[in-house]
Amino acid sequence: MKKINKLIIALSIGLGVSISSCQKLDIAPVNVLTDDIIFSSESGINSYLADIYRQAPMEDFTYRPEGRDGKGFNIHHEWEHFWRSGAVTGEMVGPYGGMDIGGGFGYWPYDKIRSINYMIQTLPLYTSKLTEAKVNQLTGEAYFLRAFFYFALAKRYGGVPIVKTVQNYPEQTIEELQVHRDKEEDLWNFIGEDLDLAYSLMPETSVSGKANKYVAAALKSRAMLYAGTIAKYGSVNFVDGDARSAGYVGIPADKANGFFTKAVDAAKLLEGHYSLYNKNANKELNYADAFLDNSSPENILVRDYSISGRTAHSWDAVYSPRPMTGDGLSRAYPTLDLVERFSMLPITNADGTPRRFNNLSDLLPGLEPRLLATVYFPGATLRGLPFDTQRGIYPSFNGTAAAEVAKLPTERSYRLAGGTDALYEGKRIIGITGIRTAGDDYTRTGFYVRKYIDYKRPQNECILFNSTTHWIEFRYAEVLLNRAEADIELNNSADALTCLNLIRSRAGAPAFNAVDVTVNGVRNERCKELAFENHYWWDLRRWRTADVVLDNARFKGLMPYYVSNENKFIFLSEPETFGRNYNFDKKYYYEPIPGGELGKNPNLYPNNPNY
Amino acid sequence: MKKLISRILLGVGILASSACTKIDNFKAPDASFEGRLIDVSTGGSFQTSTGSVRIKLEQISWSETPSPQEIPSKMDGTYKDSKLFKGKYRITPIGGAFWPVYEPVEMDISSGSNHDFELTPYLVIKNLTQVLTGTSLKLKFNIESPVEAGLPKILDAQPYVNTTRLVGAGASIREYSETKKVDINKNWADMTAADKTIELTIPDLLPGRSFFVRVGVRLDDSYKSSNFSEIIEVKVP
Repeated sequence: MKKINKLIIALSIGLGVSISSCQKLDIAPVNVLTDDIIFSSESGINSYLADIYRQAPMEDFTYRPEGRDGKGFNIHHEWEHFWRSGAVTGEMVGPYGGMDIGGGFGYWPYDKIRSINYMIQTLPLYTSKLTEAKVNQLTGEAYFLRAFFYFALAKRYGGVPIVKTVQNYPEQTIEELQVHRDKEEDLWNFIGEDLDLAYSLMPETSVSGKANKYVAAALKSRAMLYAGTIAKYGSVNFVDGDARSAGYVGIPADKANGFFTKAVDAAKLLEGHYSLYNKNANKELNYADAFLDNSSPENILVRDYSISGRTAHSWDAVYSPRPMTGDGLSRAYPTLDLVERFSMLPITNADGTPRRFNNLSDLLPGLEPRLLATVYFPGATLRGLPFDTQRGIYPSFNGTAAAEVAKLPTERSYRLAGGTDALYEGKRIIGITGIRTAGDDYTRTGFYVRKYIDYKRPQNECILFNSTTHWIEFRYAEVLLNRAEADIELNNSADALTCLNLIRSRAGAPAFNAVDVTVNGVRNERCKELAFENHYWWDLRRWRTADVVLDNARFKGLMPYYVSNENKFIFLSEPETFGRNYNFDKKYYYEPIPGGELGKNPNLYPNNPNY
Repeated sequence: MKKLISRILLGVGILASSACTKIDNFKAPDASFEGRLIDVSTGGSFQTSTGSVRIKLEQISWSETPSPQEIPSKMDGTYKDSKLFKGKYRITPIGGAFWPVYEPVEMDISSGSNHDFELTPYLVIKNLTQVLTGTSLKLKFNIESPVEAGLPKILDAQPYVNTTRLVGAGASIREYSETKKVDINKNWADMTAADKTIELTIPDLLPGRSFFVRVGVRLDDSYKSSNFSEIIEVKVP
């Protein structure tokens, strides 16, 4: 009986299979998205665009300037945000051993540019389904994104091929696809033109994370300022070579003012539509909140992160010391050199002896609120815990600060320690938050980063891949600084003074007078306002000052000590504890064209000078 | 058991014999290239240091756009690479403080090839004298320029002190070298005769030791390279 049952089952299965097999399998593949599916509905386009936005060259929390696994942007599961460009430029000191980022990571996003070109070409075919307004908006976004990618290429390599139509293989021959480099000047002009188109096509507002016309104007002010300074300073300090003679790198100096004018004009477009964050009368808290508040009127374009979307970053876990976080560790620390851009600290008396303080926090009153909101000083507090940062104990201290620092370590009477268990006369030699004689997961300089630290987040939530603070790619303060810098280059100092004083007033700094409005004045203001936001590296490059600032440079820290017999604290300005050297080779003003691309396309030669 | 062993042996035998198969279709690089860098102003060796002069090789018989390779020069102004592929190369000395070589040499390199390059230094360091007072060393020298027009800005001068004969940039004791740098920051035309006589002082040398010392003057060219003096030995009693 069982056998018969089995036979019946087998027969029926066989019959079923053979009958159904006669159907023709000629249906459109359901797992391939066609143009019709993507471009005929808004949701289809949104998902197409989302991928491009996700890959947009924003140097955000996770950006890794020397790359990792061949990528620098949007690296999967990157938590080590202390590998940051600020950590080779003297804004911070960190894990880099020196100039480890000069060669870049071979960024070459022509695949994204192709996606954008495809979108620009295809959208007009779907005007009837999407409405003209929608097509205009989306085309504008595409032009903005294309300019953004080319901007990221131009600031790295100078002139690269401008590809504005979709290339197809094998329809086109290899020879046709091996495009030539364009001149650097032409590339910056092309970026400006794309952004003009984007500005004219897009509406005034957009949802968070997406571009509108003012985002395009903000990028234009940044890009044109870059081009202007490259034209002006790159024609004085440059490396000679074939690529320069051909115009692939370098812009003629007489083109500088044209670019500066465009930068000012673009920046002025945002006036009245965005403003500096000024919600809190407490200037220090206000400045800290400017980076945390989603509703800030200063934010022009942000990138959002979410835990459920698995895009959350780890800023809170890797920029504060472990006792104040849930896990992770820190490795990059602001330098005293950055802090002294704000003002010299009152740590030394007129006679050269170190000033005595009863508490570490007695140093803080009177310092610029923006400074206190940018770095955590010894004596500050976070999540109710004090930064008790202390490098060591002096049994007694005589003489001047300068004489003490000039001594060899073996001649100094201080007690240092590698851990918090070391005691001197019953007192801990170093603080819980540093400064240790070894290791770098506690501060090397006395400071910790405060910008973007979500101080309201509970400690147990400050763990890896759990921070959701948005990244502000464009904020109005930068646009004002772009405008002020271009103004000064054009000798238009009245307008620059207005912009700079808006920023300084919000920062809680005394207003500038006309005499302060100099090239160095505006640059210093920019370094302070945009610290840790991955601007300084590009600024040093476009000002062509990197080889001077990073000329065997060593950076300083602020070292707090406890003087035991006096029961007081002193602060000494000393080299950061690792004593690392930072150098910049002039050829790094441009990155080398990636070797793999040179191998595929000989028309990318000549490579940039000295590579 | 015997069967198993013989099978394993058979397997090993097959692997071993197949491992002898030749698959590399290229000969090992057996060409060599060596030579000297000659300072045309003195006729002697061009003074170099770590990370200074390199010989850039582009194998043009391999590709029209070859990736460059470099031979670093030795401290005595010679260079040698004995593991090169035979072929035609475009050869340019780069990286040091000499007037750029705009007309590279093109030559076939095979085993035993050699070529000497004549380089015109930006600056020549002359009359280097040392005076040791106690543990304090005073170095005095003049700088001269074989070609003055278009000379890059002169940045600074510094001593290089080391305990071995390998002394120069990147091979010196920081406290006796880097920190004793003297800024100049002048164009050649703006330098007076007095500016061209430079004095460097290195105090507090460790007594009872021998040091190897040279001086360098750095220029603001593409490489920020330095012209070096010859190496002298200083015995601190």
